[in-house]
Amino acid sequence: MIKKTLFCLLALLASTQSSAAETGLVLKPDQLRADTFNDAKVVGSVNKNDSVEILNKKGAWLEIKSAGKSGWVRLLTVKRNNAGSTDVAGVVGVATGRSGTGKVVSTTGIRGLSAEDLKTAQFNETETKKLESYTTNADEAKQFASSGGLTSRQYPYFTGAAQ
Amino acid sequence: MRRYIKQAVTVAFITGLSWQPAAGLDFKGALKDAVNSQLGNGRKAEAAPPSTTPQNTGTAQDKLANINWKNPSQEEEIAVGRNVTGTILGAAPLVNDAQLQRYVNKVGRWVASQSERAELPWRFGVIESTDVNAFAAPGGYILITKGLYQRLTSEAQLAGVLGHEIAHVVQKHHLKVMQKQALLDAGSAFLKEKISKNTLTQRAVSTGAEISARNLDKSAEFEADSMGTVLAARAGYEAYGLAEVLQDMETISNQDSSMALLFKTHPHPDDRVAQLSVVSGDQIDNISGGKTLENRLYQLK
Repeated sequence: MIKKTLFCLLALLASTQSSAAETGLVLKPDQLRADTFNDAKVVGSVNKNDSVEILNKKGAWLEIKSAGKSGWVRLLTVKRNNAGSTDVAGVVGVATGRSGTGKVVSTTGIRGLSAEDLKTAQFNETETKKLESYTTNADEAKQFASSGGLTSRQYPYFTGAAQ
Repeated sequence: MRRYIKQAVTVAFITGLSWQPAAGLDFKGALKDAVNSQLGNGRKAEAAPPSTTPQNTGTAQDKLANINWKNPSQEEEIAVGRNVTGTILGAAPLVNDAQLQRYVNKVGRWVASQSERAELPWRFGVIESTDVNAFAAPGGYILITKGLYQRLTSEAQLAGVLGHEIAHVVQKHHLKVMQKQALLDAGSAFLKEKISKNTLTQRAVSTGAEISARNLDKSAEFEADSMGTVLAARAGYEAYGLAEVLQDMETISNQDSSMALLFKTHPHPDDRVAQLSVVSGDQIDNISGGKTLENRLYQLK
């Protein structure tokens, strides 16, 4: 009986979570695009402070719905509401397939790192030498970059004013 | 000796908490004069210390003991960073996987090569901790926890995280905090005529491990997010790597213990995303053609 009630309760909880739409706030004006690339067709636009529904996430893109229109915007266009305030990972967490992984602490012998740990820690010469033994020089790193198809590009630092 | 270090750590921590009010007091230039006479003329002040000063042996210790905190050289900066990093490693050792460590060094070094301090001997490491966090120490030492690494899904995200830490080093964020502490300690200690320059360095460096995870103001963190994003983009990566990691952090509960230290020491990811959004403006839209390299992200054994 208790088991059954618990099961129903869990089922109810699960359905509440999945049906709860995730909402967000538009941080900067942007265009809604039909797909997840920069030159995809523009299907609408959003303005700063618009409230939107977050439908999906793909890479650095979010699918949102605003004033009846849905489309894709870049990640930094929208701020998710109530992020981190509950245990529900929400659409973004689910979409990455890593919902709740941060809570898995199954490895024994490995622990977190508190401010107290850092205060009382003692210098470890052996580990420091080990760290230094893995150092890569600029040329090796460049070769590694090339093998991944990465090329150096010139971009200035962002100049937008902080709020 | 060990007992002395412990005492120094305790004293330093207390000092760390109390130096700010002291800084607010007006000594009518006395503090400034004291700092200058203690440290401004390099090694001169060494004549004054009382004999209670412990004698350090070994060149690394000597180097640390004689740091010119007013204007540290690059070599001195590296010596400080090495000490801070070794102390963090004392709390959490490296993940025992040479391939992983070499991989992270290659990605990190390549991103660092895009910065204004490419000439530093940059060093990167993944440490055994379930916490979600990363650390930067002066002179180009950068550590990332296994807990954070495991959440990453692409090399571009790793580049973004390392870019944030590289920016801290480029801007000397932590070094400046340590300098301030050392100089203020020097000033107040000089007034009491009780403390040696060697002890001052011990204090500043021993709190360094903690400082590397604390004490930066919010603007330094926002600046590191902004610069780190650009550094990763310069390295050829997709520009949204760091933003993705920050958004992922938003999905971790505030109550999750693995985030405790990060939340204590950084603005909430929510605020960081919002700030990065504003600062990047439409400039980030001009960045295109970057790579994410999901498949090259080294998978932990």
